[in-house]
Amino acid sequence: MQILFLKTVFGFYLLSTSFYLWHAIRPKISIRRSAFALFLAAFVLQTLLLLFRWYTAGYLPVTNLFSTQFFFSWALALCYLYFELRYRIHATGLFVIFLTLLLLGSALPRNPSIPPLIPALDTVLFTLHVIFSFTGYAFFAMAFSVAVMFLIQKRLQTAILPDLALLRKINEEAVFLGFCLFTLCMVMGSIWAQIAWGYYFSWNIKSVWSSIVWLFYGGMCHAKFIRRWQGTGYAWLTIAGFGVVLFTYLGIGLLMQSNHPLE
Amino acid sequence: MMRRIWSICCSLKLAIVLTSMITGIAVIGSLVMHFNPQLFGGLNALSWHQWHNDYGSRAPLLSSWFYLTGFLLMLLAINTGCCFTEWLLRIRSSWRKTGEYLIHLGFILIIVAYFWGSFTGTRSEGERFNIGQTRAVAALPGHYLRLDAFEPVMNANGRPVDMKSSVSLLKGDRIVHSGFIHSNTPLIYNNLTIVPASYGQETIGYNILLTELNRTARIATGSTISLKDQIRLNILEFQSDAYRVGDQIIARGTDAINPAIFIRVSRNNESIWSGWLFLREPLPLLLQQAGFDFVVQSPILRFYSLLTLNTDPGMRLALIGSICMTIGVLFALFSFYYKRQRGDRPDIS
Ligand code: HEM
Repeated sequence: MQILFLKTVFGFYLLSTSFYLWHAIRPKISIRRSAFALFLAAFVLQTLLLLFRWYTAGYLPVTNLFSTQFFFSWALALCYLYFELRYRIHATGLFVIFLTLLLLGSALPRNPSIPPLIPALDTVLFTLHVIFSFTGYAFFAMAFSVAVMFLIQKRLQTAILPDLALLRKINEEAVFLGFCLFTLCMVMGSIWAQIAWGYYFSWNIKSVWSSIVWLFYGGMCHAKFIRRWQGTGYAWLTIAGFGVVLFTYLGIGLLMQSNHPLE
Repeated sequence: MMRRIWSICCSLKLAIVLTSMITGIAVIGSLVMHFNPQLFGGLNALSWHQWHNDYGSRAPLLSSWFYLTGFLLMLLAINTGCCFTEWLLRIRSSWRKTGEYLIHLGFILIIVAYFWGSFTGTRSEGERFNIGQTRAVAALPGHYLRLDAFEPVMNANGRPVDMKSSVSLLKGDRIVHSGFIHSNTPLIYNNLTIVPASYGQETIGYNILLTELNRTARIATGSTISLKDQIRLNILEFQSDAYRVGDQIIARGTDAINPAIFIRVSRNNESIWSGWLFLREPLPLLLQQAGFDFVVQSPILRFYSLLTLNTDPGMRLALIGSICMTIGVLFALFSFYYKRQRGDRPDIS
C-alpha cells in the first residue's frame, strides 16, 4: 500500500520534472503551471505519507536508510516549494527536484516498514538533530542549484532563467537559511551527545566534517560582504561547499568507517 | 598604532582567512586522525593534557594539525570577541543585528567552554561497578558512587538495547544525589556526567550436583554445603580465575578460567581445615571421602555495569553558548529579511 502511494508520488515528481524541462525548451505558461501543479500534488501526497508514517510509528521515522531517504527527499521538495512560492524560480531549482527523484527512486526498492525505536535514538534531540540536518542540507543543495544556474546565466544571458541579481540573492539566502538550520542541527546534536556519551563533541571523522561544513558556510555568510567574492566567486564557493556536504553525507559513509551513531 | 591593531582584530577579512585556514587544516587533519586511530582514538576518552602527555607529544608531526587547529580556533574566537565588542560599543545604532551577534557570542562562549573543559575536565570511560559496589570518584575528591541496581534490556532477538543502572552519589557517607541512568538519561551532578558505557557478565559460582550424595548445591561466596559424617563446608570466597604465587592466591580476572574457592571445613561445628581449593585440580581425600564429588550443572552469573564518569567545568557555559546561538539564529532569520526589505544589500567592503 505504502509502496503504491510512494510510486504515485515518484510518478508525479517525474512528470513535473519533465514538464519543467519541456518548459525550459519551449517556454509556455500552461506548461509551467502544469509542472508546478504536478509538483504540488506530489508534495502534498508525500507530506500525507510522511504524516501517516509518523502517526503509525509514534515517532518521526528517520532511523533507517529508507526513512532518511524519504525524509530528505521531502525536505528537498519543501525547500524547492519555499523558493518557488517566494521567487517563482521554476526550473532554476531543477537540480533539487532531480535529487528528490534520485532519493525517492533509490528508496523505492527498499522495505518501507518502520523498525521499532531503539532506546538510544528515543529522544527529541535526535529527531530535531536529523530534521535540522536534512533541512539544512536541502538548502545547501538549493544554493548549489542556484549557483550553477548563476554561472550558466552569466554565460547564456537567457530569459528562461531569472536575472543574475535575483540568482545571487537567492544563492545568499539559501546559504544563510541552510547555515541557520545546520547551526540548530549542531546544537541539538551536541546536547544529545552530552547526555548520551558524556561529552558534547566527539573526535570522529563525521563530527569533524560536520564542523567543517558548519564553519565553511559560516565563512560564506561573511564572504558575501566582500565585494570581490560577490556573484561569481560566491557561486563557486557555494559549489565547493556542496562538495564538502556531499563528502560529509555520502563520502564518509561510503569510503570510510565512522563511529558516528548514524553511520 | 593601537587603533590599527584593534581594527585588524575586528577585521571581517581576518575572520574569513581564519575560517578558510581552519577548514583546510581540518580537512587534512580529519584524514590523519581517521587513519591513525592508535594516536587519536583516545581523544574522546582523555582530557587534552593527558592526551598530549600520552600521545600527542610523542608524535608531533602527525598531531601538529590538531594543535594548529586549536590555535587558529582560539584566534578566531578572539577575532569574533573583538568584533562582538565593537558591536556592543555601537549597540544603540545597530541593535537590529542582535541576532547575528548572539550567534557570534554563542560561538565565543562555546570555544572558551570547550577549551576550558578539555584542559581541566576529566574523562573516565567504562569504569566497572558490581551491583552494591561503592567506588571513589577520582575526579571529585571525597565523593563515591554506588551501583544500587543494574539490568540490561534486551530486544526480541536477545540483543542488548539499553542498560539501566540505579546509582547513588555519596559525599562521605551522605547521599548527595541519586538517580536512574540509561540511554539518553545521564546522572548530572555539578560538573560530573555519568552515562552508561557498556556492561558485562561474570561467573560468581556454580550450581553443582553432588554425585555421591545425589543432591544439588551451590558453590559461591557465602554458601554452605553439608556433607557426610557431620562435615560442613563453608565457602568464604569464590574466584573465577585465580593462580598461585608461592603461598599466595592472586585473582587474575573475571572469566571462569581457573576457578578457586577459599573454604573452611568443620566437623560438628569445629573447624578442621581451611584453605584454597582449585576446582580443576584433584580434591583433597578428606572431602572426597565426605562425599564432595560433583559435576557442574550451570554457572551462576552476575551482571556488572560499565559507566563513564566525565567532568567538564565548561559544560554549563557551552550550554549557555548554544542557547545564545539558538536564540541568535531565530532573531537573525527575522533580521535577515528585515534588512532585505530595507534594501540593505551586503556591500560593506
Ligand atoms: C565562527 C565564527 C562566526 C560565525 C558562526 C558567524 C556567523 C555569522 C552570521 C550567521 C552572520 C549573519 C550573516 C547574514 O546576515 O547573512 C554574520 C554576520 C556578520 N559577522 Fe559573523 N560569524 C563569525 C565570526 C565573525 C567574526 C570573527 C567577525 C568579525 C570580524 C564577524 C563579523 C560579522 C559581521 C560584520 C557580520 C554582518 C552583520 C551585518 O551587517 O548584517 N563574524 N556572522
